[in-house]
Amino acid sequence: MTKLVLLCLKCIILCSTIEAVFEDQVGKFDWRQQYVGKVRFSHFDIHVQSSKKVLLATEKNVFAALNTRTGELFWRHVDKAGPEGNIDALLQHGQDAVLVIGNGRLLRSWETNVGGLNWEVVLDPGSFQSACLVGQQDTVKYMAVQKKTAISLHYLSNGHQRWIENLPESETVDYQAVYSGGNGEVYVLGVVPHSHITIVAYSVDDGEIIKQVILNYSTPWLSSIRASCTVVGQGMLTCVDSATASFYMLDLHVQPQMTQISLQSLGLDIYPGFRPGLLSTQPNPARPPLSEFFLQLGSEHYLLLQLNNGQIVSLRDFKPAMLASFATTGEKTVAVVMSPKNRTACSVNLFSADTGRRLLDTTLIFNIDPNGGKPEKLYVQAFLKKDDSVGYRVMVQTEDHTLTFIQQPGRVMWTREEALSDVVTMEMVDLPLTGTQAELEGEFGKKADGLMPMVMKRLCSQLILLQAWTAHLWKLFYNARKPRSQVKNDVTIENLSRDEFNLQKMMVMVTASGKLFGIDSKTGNILWRHYLDNIPPNAAFKLMVQRTTAHFPHPPQCTLLIKDKDSGLATLHVFNPIFGRKSHITPPALPQPILQSLMLPLMDQDYAKVLLLIDDQFKVSTFPSTKNVLQQLQEMASSIFFYLVDSSQGKLSGYRLRKDLSTELIWEVIIPAEAQRIVSVKGKRPSEHVHSQGRVMGDRSVLYKYLNPNLLAVVTESTDLHQERSFVGILLLDGVTGRIIHEAVQRKARGPVHVVHSENWVVYEYWSTKSRRNEFSVIELYEGMELYNSTAFSSLDRPHAPQVLQQSYIFPSSISTMEATLTEKGITSRHLLIGLPAGGILSLPKMFLDPRRPEIVSEQSREENLIPYSPELLIRTEWFVNYNQTVSRVRGIYTAPSGLESTCLVVAYGLDIYHTRVYPSKQFDVLKDDYDYMLISSVLFALFFATMISKRLAEVKLLNRAWR
Amino acid sequence: MSYTIRIQLLGLFVQVAVVVVCCFTDIETGPGASVSLQTNGDRFKIEGRAIVPGVKTQDWVSAARVLVEGEEYVGFLRMDGSFAVNDVPSGSYVVEVVTPTYKFEPVRVDITSKGKMRARVVNYIKTSEVIRQPYPLQIRSVGTHVYFMKRETWGWTDFLMNPMVMMMLLPLLIIVLLPKVVNTNDPEMRKEMEQSMNMLNPNPELPDVSELMTKLFSGSKGSSKAGSSSKGTRPAAKRR
Repeated sequence: MTKLVLLCLKCIILCSTIEAVFEDQVGKFDWRQQYVGKVRFSHFDIHVQSSKKVLLATEKNVFAALNTRTGELFWRHVDKAGPEGNIDALLQHGQDAVLVIGNGRLLRSWETNVGGLNWEVVLDPGSFQSACLVGQQDTVKYMAVQKKTAISLHYLSNGHQRWIENLPESETVDYQAVYSGGNGEVYVLGVVPHSHITIVAYSVDDGEIIKQVILNYSTPWLSSIRASCTVVGQGMLTCVDSATASFYMLDLHVQPQMTQISLQSLGLDIYPGFRPGLLSTQPNPARPPLSEFFLQLGSEHYLLLQLNNGQIVSLRDFKPAMLASFATTGEKTVAVVMSPKNRTACSVNLFSADTGRRLLDTTLIFNIDPNGGKPEKLYVQAFLKKDDSVGYRVMVQTEDHTLTFIQQPGRVMWTREEALSDVVTMEMVDLPLTGTQAELEGEFGKKADGLMPMVMKRLCSQLILLQAWTAHLWKLFYNARKPRSQVKNDVTIENLSRDEFNLQKMMVMVTASGKLFGIDSKTGNILWRHYLDNIPPNAAFKLMVQRTTAHFPHPPQCTLLIKDKDSGLATLHVFNPIFGRKSHITPPALPQPILQSLMLPLMDQDYAKVLLLIDDQFKVSTFPSTKNVLQQLQEMASSIFFYLVDSSQGKLSGYRLRKDLSTELIWEVIIPAEAQRIVSVKGKRPSEHVHSQGRVMGDRSVLYKYLNPNLLAVVTESTDLHQERSFVGILLLDGVTGRIIHEAVQRKARGPVHVVHSENWVVYEYWSTKSRRNEFSVIELYEGMELYNSTAFSSLDRPHAPQVLQQSYIFPSSISTMEATLTEKGITSRHLLIGLPAGGILSLPKMFLDPRRPEIVSEQSREENLIPYSPELLIRTEWFVNYNQTVSRVRGIYTAPSGLESTCLVVAYGLDIYHTRVYPSKQFDVLKDDYDYMLISSVLFALFFATMISKRLAEVKLLNRAWR
Repeated sequence: MSYTIRIQLLGLFVQVAVVVVCCFTDIETGPGASVSLQTNGDRFKIEGRAIVPGVKTQDWVSAARVLVEGEEYVGFLRMDGSFAVNDVPSGSYVVEVVTPTYKFEPVRVDITSKGKMRARVVNYIKTSEVIRQPYPLQIRSVGTHVYFMKRETWGWTDFLMNPMVMMMLLPLLIIVLLPKVVNTNDPEMRKEMEQSMNMLNPNPELPDVSELMTKLFSGSKGSSKAGSSSKGTRPAAKRR
């Protein structure tokens, strides 16, 4: 019994000593940035005049409200990722915003002030086509949702369905659009491709078909109504065709008759090969659209036209014009046109919609970021000024998913880099030394040229240091006089320098859109950005640091390998990670698809690590490929091995480099693709250090770790997903020899499997279908009580198979991603960082995932500080490194060592980006930030005085005794 | 010791120089692999209500979500705190309400293929154990999340309540008070006491109280000393 109590006590002590965040550390070294993704729909809240809210629905299935003054989020709702959460349409009416979600599966209405849900209804299955608000007698009470085969009308107040009707002849007719002009009818527009148009009118009240018009007029040119038609004015369906260069117009209310107006009669020419587009506006859904509309004739040519008694009048010709849009405030509608001004700037102007006249003093300048993309979309917030004229602000969306909100006359109020919602890979690069430090370093690098000049140089550099130090002191003094809020600690590229403990680094982030970012890890400021505009849509990226900042005066160098997943063709982008500039070094052209790329520990004479690329002919190329490199490579060729994974055929193969730089297949492992597929292959991180080679046991003997740097963890999942037969397999194999070290199978389990492979252990997480829970399993490898050849590890000479220990645990939540902490020397104990779907990042001590955790406690296990086995791992919110700063949809966690052994830098990225520092064994190498200087100094002083006084007293006493 | 190991590691890298670098093939672990097993169209709705006692719903609903089995199905809370997760096939799911501030207990919901619902307490160890809960779900917040550790603050009471200090203070009191209680005017008694005192304290020059004090302080501040002593290794770390 006492043992048990002791044990419990020990457990409690262990738990309580584990690192957590203190409340006063909030925001001290951590920051979070929240993103929403590429905007698909955006509406300004025009319901309230002084509203500062903009609603965004994005391709990341996020619906959010932003503050237009600051660009920060009011609220954000993150739906399920994938097609089931896809936002098809956004309709806004008053305080409510209705979303059509998941190909018309759900309707969701949000209250936009608080961000709460009004209602949610499920619709019948069917492929969603379009939706619109339906008004009647100037009030909007319904919305219509049109699918491939049916149309339904719903109340806006509660989502209830008023009626649903099947669309006639939906097998042949392709119904594409729905329109309502506020007269109690809803029109569904369909087309039989390359044949004719069909229009069905429904009564709002009961869903009865009022009329069905099948147009006799043959429209062979029309394939998509949405692309080339729009409703203008009093229900006039207007289409434009490039082949015949004409307008086709049809009055929906009156007669099935189509009139053709040739563009030439308006004095217009169509650009060959350009598909013209139409843009109209319907400011109030209870009223018909305006009779003014835009016609886009070329990529930079817009026309503002007006429909007047069946005649089309050209109001104004905009050429060149990049983007055009309408905006309405109150009763006034304006046309907004963005036109290029010069190479770096665009101007936006307002035009009266009814006359085409330019409104005075409405010019706004938008500066195009040379490292960004071209403007893509224009969202305009118009408002009435006090003198009843129209003022406006614009939100420009560019190709690189950036949102820029601009006020007249061109003041950028905020910018949001939404590309950062989709970070694919990242690296942390040490910042360069300051100029003076670099000067000192450079002194040692130079060749010695006599004693005196060396002494002089030394004196000079010391003087420079002194100067820098006094300047620093002066600055401190100067800043101390100013109030704290005024002291600006802006980090710019110019004053970037490494701090004392190398805690501040440059985060180089690669996003799926092809935009690269350099972010200061201390503040989260974006220091540079660079948009690569020729990225294939499904590219895979791999970022490598070829040269760090340690080799002054050579600039640091990063290489990004961009690979098209379809063709396998790759390109290289070489850049300086500190400044983001493209390097002047031209990377080699890669004509063949690339199978594998690896960084070798070799360096060329400029200290750039060598990148080895293997193409599909198994030919090897290097970058940089100087003579020196090739020579080194030839010398080392016999010890360079690599592996390839073919997951479709379930084949792992190992190759060796020959002296003539050809390759040779040396092993092959086939995993039958019919039964299981390879999900992931994880090696160890090359930068990882392991401090202790073994573990001291309770009886003072040492259990040596099996530290094979070439070990690969291969995870497979069964193709059979039946819950009785599915399994997850894990294979540990040596990447050099292909020898299978260990194999484990978890029956009745399925993925997604998350793996961390480090030191001598592999931790993986899977879903147990039998018990319907998430489970962790840990495998640890040991050499045994003695080490075979302790000086160096060679895969080719390891006769003894390692001892394998394994243990599994229950984890009470599913996980998004997992990574292990990493420190400079590997002395600090390891933690696992686990991203949870709820948004927390759990720092779980590796101590809990230890296969040597005993079931029955013995004296020895207690000596070793092993925690007794318990099947369930706990999630304690104190272990959340990001406290309440939840991170949505964590895709990856990046860990990097800092200059302090106790500290590991952590970046979690997904929809949000979160950076913090973790101290897995507490801050043992620096004084804690709550260190009580007052106490220690007062105690010291007190002791000092006490000794003085007591000494005096003792003297007096002695004297008195002597007198006696 | 650490140096030799580093050299070993270095040697390991140089000698073998086997480069096994993370693969660049298109293998990615991710939630994309989850395949919906359900093919027939029977989809059900999980309904319930989340309550935070004493807090207005509009203050917290906009930051809350309902997660069914991780992020497999997602629901949102209405303005009154009620929720419905639509389109869920039959099966057994763990439903939890997540907010950054308030803590809710997860509930397991079983849906039969006919659409019968049952809610029970989540028990990951005994998975078949059934402790019923009401359905539609009534999930009450069990308080706020505790994210932060309390700082160890230093106060006089902590200091005085320290067993070491208590052990020290008690004899002190006895030493001070005993002569008062015992009649010290009696010369015989005095002699006896002096003798015993001399036996206890062989070196009269050093007052032992101060010695105890220093011992105590060096003992309680051991951790800070360790911190400052590791300062010496700092420049070495900086160089790297």
